[in-house]
Amino acid sequence: MAGPWTGSDRSQPGGQAYAKSAVAVVACTGIAALMAPWFAPANLIMVYLLGVMAVAVALGRGPAVVASFLSVVAFDYFFVPPRYTFAVSDTQYLVTFAVMLLASILIGTLAARLRTQALAARIGEHRSDALVRLSRELVALQDRNRIFAAVLRHLEEVFESRGVALLPDAAQRLGVVAGDAALLGPGAHELGVAQWAFDAGQSAGLGTTTLPASRCLHLPLRGSGRELGVIALEPRDIRSLMAPDSFRLLLAFANHAALALERAALAEQAEHARVQSETERLRSGLLSSVSHDLRTPLAVITGAASTLLEDTDRVDASARREMLRSIADEAARLNRLVSNLLAMTRLEAGALEVRRSWHSLEEVVGAALRRLEPLRGGRPVRVTLPPGLPLVAVDDVLLEQVVFNLLENTVKHAPSSTPIEIEGRAREHEVELSIADRGPGLAPGSEERVFEKFYRGDDSRRTGGVGLGLAICRGVVEAHGGRLRAANRPDGGAVFTFTLPLDQAAPKIEPEPAAEAPLRSSP
Amino acid sequence: MSEPTGDAPLVLVIEDEPQMLRFLRPALEGHGYRMIEASTGRDGLTQAATRSPDVVLLDLGLPDQDGLTVTARLREWSQTPIVVISARGREEDKVAALDAGADDYVTKPFSVPELLARLRVALRHGARSDGAESPRLVIGDVEVDLEKRRVTRAGEPVHLTPIEYRLLAELARHPGKVLTHSHLLKQVWGPASAQQSHYLRVYMAQLRRKLEEDPAQPRILLTELGVGYRLAEA
Repeated sequence: MAGPWTGSDRSQPGGQAYAKSAVAVVACTGIAALMAPWFAPANLIMVYLLGVMAVAVALGRGPAVVASFLSVVAFDYFFVPPRYTFAVSDTQYLVTFAVMLLASILIGTLAARLRTQALAARIGEHRSDALVRLSRELVALQDRNRIFAAVLRHLEEVFESRGVALLPDAAQRLGVVAGDAALLGPGAHELGVAQWAFDAGQSAGLGTTTLPASRCLHLPLRGSGRELGVIALEPRDIRSLMAPDSFRLLLAFANHAALALERAALAEQAEHARVQSETERLRSGLLSSVSHDLRTPLAVITGAASTLLEDTDRVDASARREMLRSIADEAARLNRLVSNLLAMTRLEAGALEVRRSWHSLEEVVGAALRRLEPLRGGRPVRVTLPPGLPLVAVDDVLLEQVVFNLLENTVKHAPSSTPIEIEGRAREHEVELSIADRGPGLAPGSEERVFEKFYRGDDSRRTGGVGLGLAICRGVVEAHGGRLRAANRPDGGAVFTFTLPLDQAAPKIEPEPAAEAPLRSSP
Repeated sequence: MSEPTGDAPLVLVIEDEPQMLRFLRPALEGHGYRMIEASTGRDGLTQAATRSPDVVLLDLGLPDQDGLTVTARLREWSQTPIVVISARGREEDKVAALDAGADDYVTKPFSVPELLARLRVALRHGARSDGAESPRLVIGDVEVDLEKRRVTRAGEPVHLTPIEYRLLAELARHPGKVLTHSHLLKQVWGPASAQQSHYLRVYMAQLRRKLEEDPAQPRILLTELGVGYRLAEA
């Protein structure tokens, strides 16, 4: 027998069913024999009719008809006088036999039809269940490969048929994208049939009228307006697969698969368009910043350098020095810009590699402050880091870039001679570092926007930033599993605070035996 | 290398960028160095063998073979100090070059005073490779006497634990030179501890608290991020 829902026809029972129907008649005869002393023979017919009905419901029409005949024969032999012969003394019984036979065949047929209908309803229910399960699974999938995997798995479960999925390439030539390609056998025949089914938009191959000698049945996947691909099936039992109900279900499966594919393709297109517009936005932002922020320092360098080269005599010592200073400063600015552009590119490309090991914030802050030195101007820096601040598992080079960018940002916006305050705190599951200034603070409502790429404050023309520094900070902090936010201080100025998670504590270090100090304190 | 000559020190610059060479030549020659150049690693190795430079300045981004290979090949037969030129963000390259035998590095873009300082330190260590290092060292208000195992700050003795002292002493034996994390761990804690970077952070912080005015803005025990530490020059 084929799979449970392949539409296998249970109204074609085997020899076993007929044997069972004979057993049923024997049972009826037994019951009738028990009843015989008290009932007229005609009443015993009812027992047989009941038996035939039971056979019809349980085993189908064929066994019921056989049981009808057997019942008449058994009734005649055992209960019609003279008993234990097939002879009939009263010819009236011949009419009884005829009516009994007709009635039992009629009952058997009706009961069997009822059974078939119930069975069909049950199969239908299972089929719609199977379809619901498939579509429910497909709804959640966006990825083409996973859609095919789900469809092929359901096909195998429901239709007992292994399958492969074929999709067209740019030249509309089909190729296997999911399933075992070996299913299509050696040679190009099956691929050719699949291609035909794809081009014609009709099923082909085994079980159809087109190339029925093929090994597989090829079903085109029809999207809105065009064929999306083909599913090739190698059925275990093609006859039951091609039964009308079963084939309809198969087509419904193919339909669902096509819909899911189309949905996935649309989602992919939408994502592609989004990425492209984002890239476009980035590119135009980049271009405008490049044109302004790279050109300004270049103009200064070119101007100062050419003056120094050509008008050597007319430039006095202090002007000379001033120009050289500008060249050095602007070159340093260019270097920072390029570093930030590179870092942003790496963040965007997801190529940022975080190399974590145990570091102290004090050291990272120290390195950033050292790099800030030429830019610091007269701003005093106050660092408050409790000595017990735990080590953090971070990429020191990246984190230094974060601290440096935040410091550079305060230097850009806060007037010189206003203090910069750096403060670290340990909490239960994280450490926090804040960098605060006494500058003009953030424009109301811009606390989040300052972290956007190419966002620049109103004073950007003066400060000459590209609007990448803070975006990089946020990217790096988030790559470490932390958060970075900006706020205005209640008593004036801006404060940037980032947290770093303390997922695990640094390994403990054995304390040194302090008693034995080897160093004499006196000469 | 052992006998001092009256000649200006000879720098072999292995660098393929003509602009860099154009800038380096006047910078070096203006500060009392002689300079020869090689634009490939292969040529650089040949010149190192034939011209016996006093110090090699090697760009890690060479076209024909990477600077690491050049460093390793050179170290097979020569102890000539090597200073590598590298880009920011390539800290692992610097560490690899230092581990392969390079003496120090500068990060592009660098200033001439910075480069000269590295060359000076490298030459000094090269010249001293068979002699003893200076046993007494003064950096700011801190004085380290390796012979007497004594450390003072502003004339006052500083109490150090044995590990703190070993760490400071290792740095003081190579003043001005960068020492990688793994080098310090091996020297101070032993070869088995090369990966225990947290030891180094903790003891460095303790040392700074005892020697630095502001441990967050060190002037003596300098951090070379992603690479190691350096004791400031006097």
